[in-house]
Amino acid sequence: MPVVTYLEAISQALREEMRRDPNVFLMGEDIGVFGGAFKVTKGFIEEFGEERVIDTPISESGFAGAACGAAIMGFRPVVEFQFADFIVCAFDQIVNFSGKCYYRWGIPVPVVFRGPSGGGFRGGPFHSQNPEAWFTHAPGLKVVQPSTPYDAKGLLKAAIRDNNPVIYFEHKHLYRRIREDIPEGDFDVPIGVGDVKREGSDLSIITYGATVHTCLEVAEKLSEEGAECEVVDLRTLAPLDKDCFLNSVRKTSKALIVHEAHLTSGFGGEVAAIIAEEVFESLDAPVKRIGSLDVPIPFSPPLEDAVLPNAEKIERAARELLEY
Amino acid sequence: MASTKTPIWKFKPLDPKIDRTELDPGSLQLSRDDLLRLYRAMRMSRTFELRLASLYRQGRVVGAVYLGMGHEAIATGVVSVLRPDDLFNTTGRNLSAWFYRGVEPKHVLARWLGKDQEPSHGRDLGLFLADLDHFGIAPYHNGSMASWIPSGAGFALAFKMRREPRVYVAMTGDGATSPGDFYEGLNFAAIHKLPLVVIVENNQFGYSTANEREMPVENVADRAPAFNIPSEIAFGNCVFTVIETASRAIGHARSGKGPYLVELKTFRQRGHGEHDDASYVPKEMREYWTARDPVVLFTKYLLGKGGFGALEIEAIDKQCEEIMEQAVEYAEKLPYPKPETVTERLFAP
Repeated sequence: MPVVTYLEAISQALREEMRRDPNVFLMGEDIGVFGGAFKVTKGFIEEFGEERVIDTPISESGFAGAACGAAIMGFRPVVEFQFADFIVCAFDQIVNFSGKCYYRWGIPVPVVFRGPSGGGFRGGPFHSQNPEAWFTHAPGLKVVQPSTPYDAKGLLKAAIRDNNPVIYFEHKHLYRRIREDIPEGDFDVPIGVGDVKREGSDLSIITYGATVHTCLEVAEKLSEEGAECEVVDLRTLAPLDKDCFLNSVRKTSKALIVHEAHLTSGFGGEVAAIIAEEVFESLDAPVKRIGSLDVPIPFSPPLEDAVLPNAEKIERAARELLEY
Repeated sequence: MASTKTPIWKFKPLDPKIDRTELDPGSLQLSRDDLLRLYRAMRMSRTFELRLASLYRQGRVVGAVYLGMGHEAIATGVVSVLRPDDLFNTTGRNLSAWFYRGVEPKHVLARWLGKDQEPSHGRDLGLFLADLDHFGIAPYHNGSMASWIPSGAGFALAFKMRREPRVYVAMTGDGATSPGDFYEGLNFAAIHKLPLVVIVENNQFGYSTANEREMPVENVADRAPAFNIPSEIAFGNCVFTVIETASRAIGHARSGKGPYLVELKTFRQRGHGEHDDASYVPKEMREYWTARDPVVLFTKYLLGKGGFGALEIEAIDKQCEEIMEQAVEYAEKLPYPKPETVTERLFAP
């Protein structure tokens, strides 16, 4: 089985889907001639041509809307926002058009919006955000956030094949730092299904995206002391696989929710509320959440490090719950 | 001290070069049937809207009502030029376009009443219709009032990618040339020479805001050079002028030369919605444009130089009234959608 980085897995998914289905095409800034700001689409314009790999002007709302029109006509466009932070420029087209079209008229919009999200590399306030909660709040959209190369490849294939608008957040700090042995050939990861990345019975750590890896690190460390944490990777935020994390909490009786996005009104609040509503009887401790501090992600290293979740903050919260 | 008086919008008459109070088909070759088809759509639209307004005042309609009285020549004329597989989207001022393409008045009214009518089954206002398969009416949303110009470019992109000689016509208003999407959509379409035609129905008001407060240029069409595309300004209340202008624009786009911007000068006879008494419209302006009512002008032409008899025209008018009566009966009888279905059809299978 080949070992690939998270970024290579994403490229592979795109390339394979474009070869498999002539209706798949790409739109985004600098994705063609330049191969993409992060080189996800390197070599694509040479293989697929400029009609299927479109270098767009800087007009997120414009090209997101255009992608919706083309999708309605039976194409399967994959739109890349150079940084997920710019997705807000297309907010209206995504939320009000792509998300509501099927509900209003029964007309599907099979479009994928990819957003390189997340911080930790000194990108500053507009290159480091995790915007998922703005979109999980909007009915009609699917939102996924893979943490591993296998999930990244499988979920992107599933997203492209899905007949609904799917927002795919790929954490850019994972691009080249995470490698995995993945199977050859075609496979997909179903949207709407969570995954237990590490089994344990003392504490459920429910997370997604880049923090999955930090949580696994913390779980390994605590394991040396005899505490076994279960790490649940949500993978899809909308539609949410509630059973995956609820079953975990029924088993462990304690829940810690971790995400890199801001704490207040972050997706963790949704998960916490569902736990409180549905498995209250199982709980032996309050539900805790970790997220970034509620300030714009700052640029200077000591500031950014203070804002983002890290192993230390997660470990402290985990210990509190384990000892509760 | 700053003025505390409410601004009074100034009235400006049309450029005499484009103004007319009598219609003439010029070099257009339209058959009797063509003319009657145009007339039927315009008359049905006018009849429908007058009745809808009255139902609204009687409290028999759900929510707000938006009428396009005064715009009939534009919607009808533009859509009459389209081929069956061209696509277009409409706003609340384009009811006659739907009727021209075969949408049934009773279904439209059922939607205005929030009843269980395809394809929206009560999920959306009567104002909105999207039905690609039957009528070539494309979906859009009105987040910003220009939001369908980018999606229009997307439909046009699909035509180009499939090498289909189809055109997308986006109908919109003067107010909708202010949001960023107007610029972003046309920019993209122009770069790729997409078959997108944008018809701007300049009725001189965006709700209560007159042109002079909406844009720093005299005409919407003055912005076309920003996209390096051709544009035209014409009188929107003469259905013949609309047909001529639209033909040029649609022909240009279909031939692969790229987008075309058409600005049709017209006037919104009612308020933005029926809840709006439009008292901000100068009296002089209203009088001027009442003399240029597109349905009245076209009727006069048909009965005059058009060579139609009064009986024939009156028969059509009567038919429209009957269709409207049946529509009211149908719509009021049709049930509401069942609340149990409210969470259905959110995601496509």
